[in-house]
Amino acid sequence: MPILTSLGHSRSHQKIQPGLSQAKRESVTECATHSRRTMEDEEESLSSSSNPNHLHSDSKTLDPALQKKHASMLERLANRHQTRLDNSLTRRSADSDSSSSPLESTSSFLSHFADSKRSIEEQLARCRLTPTSDSAEVKTRLDCISSSISDLEKLVAEKSYFLPSYEVRSSLKTISDLKQSLEILNAELIPRKKFSFRNKAAKKEQVIEPKKDTVKEKEVEIRKPEKTAFAIPESPGFRHKTGEVLLSQFKGSEIGEFTISDLDSCEVRLLGCVRALFIHRLRKCRIYVGPVMGSILIDGVEECVFVMASHQIRIHNAKASDFYLRVRSRPIIEDSSSVRFAPYCLSYEGIERDLKEASLDEETGNWANVDDFRWLRAVQSPNWSVLPEAERVRIVKISNSDCRAEEC
Amino acid sequence: MGLLSIIRKIKKKEKEMRILMVGLDNSGKTTIVLKINGEDTSVISPTLGFNIKTITYQKYTLNIWDVGGQKTIRSYWRNYFEQTDGLVWVVDSSDLRRLDDCRMELDNLLKEERLSGASLLILANKQDIKGALTPEEIAKVLNLEAMDKTRHWKIVGCSAYTGEGLLEGFDWLVQDIASRIYVLD
Repeated sequence: MPILTSLGHSRSHQKIQPGLSQAKRESVTECATHSRRTMEDEEESLSSSSNPNHLHSDSKTLDPALQKKHASMLERLANRHQTRLDNSLTRRSADSDSSSSPLESTSSFLSHFADSKRSIEEQLARCRLTPTSDSAEVKTRLDCISSSISDLEKLVAEKSYFLPSYEVRSSLKTISDLKQSLEILNAELIPRKKFSFRNKAAKKEQVIEPKKDTVKEKEVEIRKPEKTAFAIPESPGFRHKTGEVLLSQFKGSEIGEFTISDLDSCEVRLLGCVRALFIHRLRKCRIYVGPVMGSILIDGVEECVFVMASHQIRIHNAKASDFYLRVRSRPIIEDSSSVRFAPYCLSYEGIERDLKEASLDEETGNWANVDDFRWLRAVQSPNWSVLPEAERVRIVKISNSDCRAEEC
Repeated sequence: MGLLSIIRKIKKKEKEMRILMVGLDNSGKTTIVLKINGEDTSVISPTLGFNIKTITYQKYTLNIWDVGGQKTIRSYWRNYFEQTDGLVWVVDSSDLRRLDDCRMELDNLLKEERLSGASLLILANKQDIKGALTPEEIAKVLNLEAMDKTRHWKIVGCSAYTGEGLLEGFDWLVQDIASRIYVLD
């Protein structure tokens, strides 16, 4: 069937021009009727060829033998016509069976679609009528229905290339209706499922515990995210210290992330390369860090001094703090005020090598190109400024032997 | 303009997909887009506003909208929801402290009606960093199993730094969108 193959070729056009597919389809049926017509023509010509005989016999109406013969011939012809029609019909259906998919016709698709639809509706009804207390079983049932709906959706997607646009639309409508009734059923059978993960009562109980042993309310807050779903392992870092000097030296083996949080009046020195640095809730601290190969995220700091180098730096909720930065991209501030910026000034033995390794050996001057997300205007943001040279610390030198930091 | 060129234009348009990349700040959205596009990722400033990249991927044209994730500009995300075929939610798997924020923002996003039909790809980024959570752990924290049954979603671990996992994720996303919006062939 050359027409079918040409249909196959024009698949990609089908979607764009539904009218086109309609035309093609019409041409198919037309062709079928045409073939029938030629058959009828043939029949006619056959009967017309018998007509002279017929006329001839009519002229001799009196002869009963001839009349009988004529009648039997007509019957034979009618029989022949019938068998031929039957044959051509069976041949055609055999043809369509042999083509790639048995579903390659609208009517067979529609009947298949209707069957699937009915079975899904039955499943839905069964779920509704026979409630089980076992939530796991309900869940598997609903999952099963959901997957058969998506199978059906996939089927429509696959067959959409030859379906008339009306059928595609109505099938899609049916599918969305099925989905909706599944959603309704889901809500009926498993109520409040959506909210189950926010088990507030349980969470609060857990949160209260640390509150007893720690004095600060702040600490309760920071534990909250870790208590929700499951125990999140703590990353390496310095946490919950007051008035200490904290020191870490990373050599050779590269450290991943590092966290500095909840410190008051501390001094932190990190030597060597880190991949990512998270800084959260500091007060009156001095933070000196070597090159960070990824990004630094700072949130909630007050009256601090930072000396750091990184590819990206984001500063949130900072107040009255100074940043001595070397950064490959533009640093940003958000919800911050009275923050000042100056170039990087850290020095320790081997810092040149570390900076080079992190591709931070070049001074880009970006420390002064600060974007304030709270001040999206052309004029200078009032929230930050360049630290006047006279007030800058010239260099922070950390000697490797005793790891003491000197500012000069 | 001839009919053929009109048809070609429509056909070309047909293969376009609109993909919205969102996630908290510092999750690596811009880096992912640039990495997929084979561009230099060594100097990337935090996104103030948005970037659009048009990428030819397999036989489809992807319009990727990379929208900045800073808190101040998250409220503008909704301006980009219309006509979105695919949603990419990027998670910084090493930022343990803000996973709760991350889940809340994602929950809010998925409530959005205009995004209800979009396929959802969750990229658990920064897998190359030591101490990052695995995609399975991220899925647990974000409670993805409790998501709407009708949503097509997948979580893939990736590293925008090395490029690992990005193709796997986008392959899935593009295939899923393709089978949904009837350009399957």
